[in-house]
Amino acid sequence: MNSKCYIFVLLLLLSGPVSGQAAKSDFFDKTLVLPIATEPKTFNVLVAQETSSAEVTQYLFEGLTEFDPWTWAILPKLAESWEQSSDGLVWTFHLRKGVRWSDGQPFTSRDVRFTFEDVIFNPAIPNSARDIFTIQGKPITLKIVDDQTVEFHLPAPFAPFLLSLSQPIIPEHILENSVHDGTFSSAWGLGEKPDRVVGTGPFKIAKVLPGEKVELVRNPFFWKKDVDGKPLPRMDRIILLIVPSQENQLLRFLDGETDLYVLRGADYPVLKPLERKKHFKIYQAGPSLGSSFVAFNQQPRTPWKKKWYQNRDLRRALSHGIDRASMADIVFNRFAVKQCSPLSPSVPFFYSDEAPCYDYDPKTAKTILTEIVGFQDKDKDGILEDEEGHPLEIVLVTNTEDPTRLQLAQMIREDWRRIGIQVHLLPMEFNALVSKLTVTHDWEAVVIGLTGSSEPHFGANVWLSNGNLHFWNTGVGNKTYIETKVDELFGKAAVTLDRDKRKEYYDEWQRIEAEELLLIPTVLPEVLYAVRDRFVSVKPTPLGGPFYPIEELETRRS
Amino acid sequence: MSRRNLFFHRFLMALPLLFLLPLLTFWLMHLVPGNYFDSLRMNPQISQATVAQYEKLYHLNEPVLVQYGYWLKQLCKLDFGYSFAYKQPVLDILLSRLANTVLLTGVSFAWAWILAVFLGLLAARYPRSFLNGLLEWIAYGALSVPNFFLCLLLLYLAAAWGGLPLGGMRSVAYESFSGGEKAVDILRHLVIPSFVLGIGIFAFLFRLMRAQAREIFEKDFILYLRIWHIPGPKILFKHVARNAINPLVTLLGMQLPALVSGAALVEIFTGWPGLGSVMLQAVRAQDLFLVLGNMVMVSCLLVVGNLLSDILLLIVDPRIRSGKGGPS
Repeated sequence: MNSKCYIFVLLLLLSGPVSGQAAKSDFFDKTLVLPIATEPKTFNVLVAQETSSAEVTQYLFEGLTEFDPWTWAILPKLAESWEQSSDGLVWTFHLRKGVRWSDGQPFTSRDVRFTFEDVIFNPAIPNSARDIFTIQGKPITLKIVDDQTVEFHLPAPFAPFLLSLSQPIIPEHILENSVHDGTFSSAWGLGEKPDRVVGTGPFKIAKVLPGEKVELVRNPFFWKKDVDGKPLPRMDRIILLIVPSQENQLLRFLDGETDLYVLRGADYPVLKPLERKKHFKIYQAGPSLGSSFVAFNQQPRTPWKKKWYQNRDLRRALSHGIDRASMADIVFNRFAVKQCSPLSPSVPFFYSDEAPCYDYDPKTAKTILTEIVGFQDKDKDGILEDEEGHPLEIVLVTNTEDPTRLQLAQMIREDWRRIGIQVHLLPMEFNALVSKLTVTHDWEAVVIGLTGSSEPHFGANVWLSNGNLHFWNTGVGNKTYIETKVDELFGKAAVTLDRDKRKEYYDEWQRIEAEELLLIPTVLPEVLYAVRDRFVSVKPTPLGGPFYPIEELETRRS
Repeated sequence: MSRRNLFFHRFLMALPLLFLLPLLTFWLMHLVPGNYFDSLRMNPQISQATVAQYEKLYHLNEPVLVQYGYWLKQLCKLDFGYSFAYKQPVLDILLSRLANTVLLTGVSFAWAWILAVFLGLLAARYPRSFLNGLLEWIAYGALSVPNFFLCLLLLYLAAAWGGLPLGGMRSVAYESFSGGEKAVDILRHLVIPSFVLGIGIFAFLFRLMRAQAREIFEKDFILYLRIWHIPGPKILFKHVARNAINPLVTLLGMQLPALVSGAALVEIFTGWPGLGSVMLQAVRAQDLFLVLGNMVMVSCLLVVGNLLSDILLLIVDPRIRSGKGGPS
């Protein structure tokens, strides 16, 4: 009996609230608790490849410039101002005075030189920044004028150059040695001492518990002041909790433990009525930047399928055959919009709404297939056959990691079944899929997600005929007329500095892609954030996330 | 064969396992198309040359056996290699999470084992009692409800009623707690995951223990013991327990590897910062050396666990100690 008593007391103890929580409310008021699904892998912003790492480093490091997701302007950040030569080949940047690293050391042009010359263009350090700053096969070069002035020399005019310079700058005095002894790629791992990870951003690392959380505190040396001259950031602390399961993220948000929850469409009807009671507000930030596309291999192994997939009318019929409204309804609970252009409407300035759209119309689809393409259902089994009698069967691959993409693929299978096409759906792991698309080329059709960015040029690897992500037509020497045209438009847009002129090129490109349908667009999910209501003046955007700019985020009490 | 020889023999038998398991893992990981760096190919801002540079750096462009050779060579220097994703030594990553996982699985195993043995004996002694009936139902339920479902169910209940934390291992304000509060905080976070992990083990072991104990109860020697007026509890906890526990002890050794690898799902659903979730991610992303490092650790534990259960068997069963077969 006695032991049962102990167990009872223990249970009581375990289920009781922890004392002293009220006294800590001030701690919580100035603390932003964010859930992240996967743990950051490194704080080394130059070798990091995952978004999970960027979720931490975005608070720690800054570039010379910054993209403003509200006004779409390029703002000065570590650089205070800049000039460009008339040919657009020489850019002079004047660095902000009085900026200090989070360990108190001054930030100078030496750090900029270190970041570019010693790290980004160091052949021994593989990194993706090098690919961005290599223009027409040639690297950009730097000239240090003095402590506060840097000159960039470009091999050719490069329109997205200012935007590219949001590239984070890293400190020479901390990382110099690791570059010299060849350990740079493993420097600043999760096990690094927090005060060794030094940036100029509003926050710095206070504590890292692997698999559990990363705690950031305000950087006392942060350079920016608010309009009243008070130091920023206003929050004391950001705690990034690693919460792998979406269900758990939702529970912990409702419980008040975290301050942000990124909604799936299906969460909306559950969460909306709880807004007041659970003290949060739901923001609809706009269509997401990236989305899912259907693509067809232009060089499939089966000879007669090559004829099918290279037929623009067939692709047009298939696009008419996709019921995008149902997709938005069923998969995203109506929080999705139909996509027509290869760009998302959230892409500032360059998005064109004049690209042709394809409404769901199985009748038209079937008419195109039978009358224009010339397919018939001769054996009356409900599946069309081509002139040579091959039944219209398509193997559609997609990756298993994203349940919504798998759902989209399933809906496409059902939709196309209705217009007389048999689709065999083959889901697989992401790495296996990528290897099929880019290495073995052994695939027919794919539903794949492509991430977007604020600058169309950063998708050049996808759209240019020699781009390494131009996965639907990779062979050499079979560049089509359309590809020549797109290459030309992208090439012109990259070297033209006049923004309106660039928009014309990209408008033309969007029209061509929407007509040719080499990538058939589906729907764009809306980005929905639920944010604790003690935060004021929150204006989320798909480009800037829920809390831009993080240093000015404040709570009602402060 | 002397006892020392027996152990030595067992150990030698196990050694090839330590080399074969990683080789098998290597081979299996290569059956899956692609490698870790393939996912980089889908990033529009990373060039093919960069990916190739990475692959060369880690010998991924060479045949499987050559890669295995490189890896073994490293291993001889006790270097488990680097994780592609974390860019850190594999050993550091494993060690930083090992303690958390062992805490969770250790607590779950401990309560499940102790309760299963104790209640199994009682249930065998009183087969017609309410206790037996109740435990029968609990065991049935625990075996038939999937782990993750039970986990979600408990989390929802905890969310609705409050009282217990909904995930993680420590509260957000953990650092500001006193020593005692810290211990209670971790214990509170342990309740749901360790219950979910332990209940299945408990159900399985309970049924095994009860069946074994029942069989022993029907043996003649129990009748003799009763005739000699040996007190009931002594019969139960000494004679029956010792005879019934053999298969459970063997299982204990087999379950030692599960201490580090058996909690992945529960860890993910409750956000427990352990090895399981890291491994699942590593396998899916094909973070080769991290998976291999884990494999080596698990197979070592398997070998050690089996040795350990051999030793334990010697302690609990005198028949094995004397090398003579007992009555069966």
